[in-house]
Amino acid sequence: MEDIVIAILRSATPLVYVTLAGVIAQRAGIWHLGLEGLMISGACATVLGIVLTGSIWAALFWAIAVCVAGSVLFWFVVEKLRANQIIAGLGLTGLGLGGTTLAVQSIFGTQAAVSAPFGLPRLGPAFGAYGSLSILVLLMPVLVLAVWVMLRRTRFGLRLAASGEHPFAARGVGVNPSAMRLAALVMGGALCALAGAELATGSLQIFAQNMTAGRGFMGFAAVIFGAGHPIGATLAALFFAIVGAIGIKAQLIFGDRIPHDLLLGLPYIATVLGIWVSTKLRGGTKAANGFAELRNE
Amino acid sequence: MTERLVSVLRAVIFVLLGLALCGIMFQLAGYSAPLMFQAIADGAFLRAGALQQALRWSLPLFITATGVALSFRAGYFNIGAQGQFYIGAVSAAFMAEWLNGAPAAIVIPACIASGMLGGAAWALWPGLLRLKSGADEVITTLMGNFLAGLVLLYVTAGPLKDPSGSGQQASSRPLDAAYRISDSMGLSPTIVAIVAVVGVAIWLLINRTTFGVLSGLAGRNPTMVEWQGARTWRIGLASFLISGALAGLAGTVELMGPNGRLTGGFLPGHGFTAILIALVANFSVVGTAFVALFFGGLASAALYLPIMAGLPSAAIDVINAAIALFITAKSSLIDRIAKLKGRTWKTS
Repeated sequence: MEDIVIAILRSATPLVYVTLAGVIAQRAGIWHLGLEGLMISGACATVLGIVLTGSIWAALFWAIAVCVAGSVLFWFVVEKLRANQIIAGLGLTGLGLGGTTLAVQSIFGTQAAVSAPFGLPRLGPAFGAYGSLSILVLLMPVLVLAVWVMLRRTRFGLRLAASGEHPFAARGVGVNPSAMRLAALVMGGALCALAGAELATGSLQIFAQNMTAGRGFMGFAAVIFGAGHPIGATLAALFFAIVGAIGIKAQLIFGDRIPHDLLLGLPYIATVLGIWVSTKLRGGTKAANGFAELRNE
Repeated sequence: MTERLVSVLRAVIFVLLGLALCGIMFQLAGYSAPLMFQAIADGAFLRAGALQQALRWSLPLFITATGVALSFRAGYFNIGAQGQFYIGAVSAAFMAEWLNGAPAAIVIPACIASGMLGGAAWALWPGLLRLKSGADEVITTLMGNFLAGLVLLYVTAGPLKDPSGSGQQASSRPLDAAYRISDSMGLSPTIVAIVAVVGVAIWLLINRTTFGVLSGLAGRNPTMVEWQGARTWRIGLASFLISGALAGLAGTVELMGPNGRLTGGFLPGHGFTAILIALVANFSVVGTAFVALFFGGLASAALYLPIMAGLPSAAIDVINAAIALFITAKSSLIDRIAKLKGRTWKTS
């Protein structure tokens, strides 16, 4: 039983961090498809940072710096250049996936995975069987709560929501929606960096090309599934992680009867079902509506 | 005419902006930007045989991109071209396996049909989810891409596995030479004919039929089209199916043409590049042909970059992504130029 819980926590933590980034962006009115690219940049920067500087804190600093820079670029393109959010987000993702491959290849000369000598600090023996989990796992519920308080119980959160839902009203009371979106994306960037750091150095301490494997997009789906609410979206992310862990477990049990490539697809199928269920419950989502402006404006 | 000129100008400016940003980034990272641009120009068009290579990559890209353009025009964000491309190739490979031994005149059309059906089927379920219950197609088609990638891995390592292949990369049994529609250079009259048929058919569909007019309007203003009595969901479903079928066709062409077999994760950037082409071309079929040639050139330069500029070939992915980042941007400068002509043309 313990090992299943550990496996779930391990796969859920990066997903929850990236989902929180998506929640904050969504509250501010941005459908953030660049999460995937930021997350892989965070993962890559953490591992390269450890290898090159030898310090996990310096590595985390670099990861956050890279992801915040990426977020500012994204903000500039969608807010100042008024680019389509979805296409620009996909572009940012492509930049992250291609850029990390390029960075690894140009530093180490091969496309092989880079392994770091050590990773994030672990919880330690005080936590018994859970001691091998990283400190970011413990920080996760705290952050979920913090994001919930920030979005739902502070003036800042209210202004953020106003900027997303009704920018004109926000402007009317002296809030600058564009600046609020910048703040939201910067916070999201830092969260994506942590998501990447946990994914790469929370258990394996390795960076491989395309290692995020769609987790950023799943985080985006969790935002929709959880109706943009931090707790709801976190539960949705947990659900995807549980399905993923079940898939891995099933591999060990039925590995000889069911092809394992198909079991690996379970989280993606769960994501599609999640989107479908959430539209059944709440009607269509608006992400694609941003598209109309491509031709209208 | 002015409108078209402005949109071409816009595309050119943002593509150049993306290229310039990458040039600066690579220069800062210690590579030589002039050498990089030289290598791209050489590898894409100038070197002997480069144009042939560029065409090899651009022909399948053109097929997929026209489909993407069709569905974007109709207002549906089908970004699952990559998955539809894979499933198309897989369906065609199964058909070829099943009919193995039959005359080529039967096998080739059957494979093409099954590839198109496979691609369409992979677009059908996100289409139905979108049209019947409003599930966002951006996420469902994206997840479809990941699932299709896994299906491809499974097929190449399982049912269609080449027993003589090395363990390094899973691949399917090579197609019988009689069933190939081109050699590994990827240029043959058959492929050119397929591309020409697709181009003409989609051009006619968009510009000369009721469906074309209505789907273009539905993309701009679905409510209006609905009120005028057209059934928007039929237009939507047709857009999904046609774009899926075309991506599947491109997968089939890659399988029966230059590749000759399936490999796990082959051409991973195909769908994304096709989306980019459709956007740069502003959803016009004629534009798509030219833009596909440009991005085909970039793809062909990818092999040439490491030799000439010492840059890893992933640099091309970064360039593509940078262009994607900017391509939908709106520029007040271009608006102003358009207004100088005495008319307030929209820029997109």
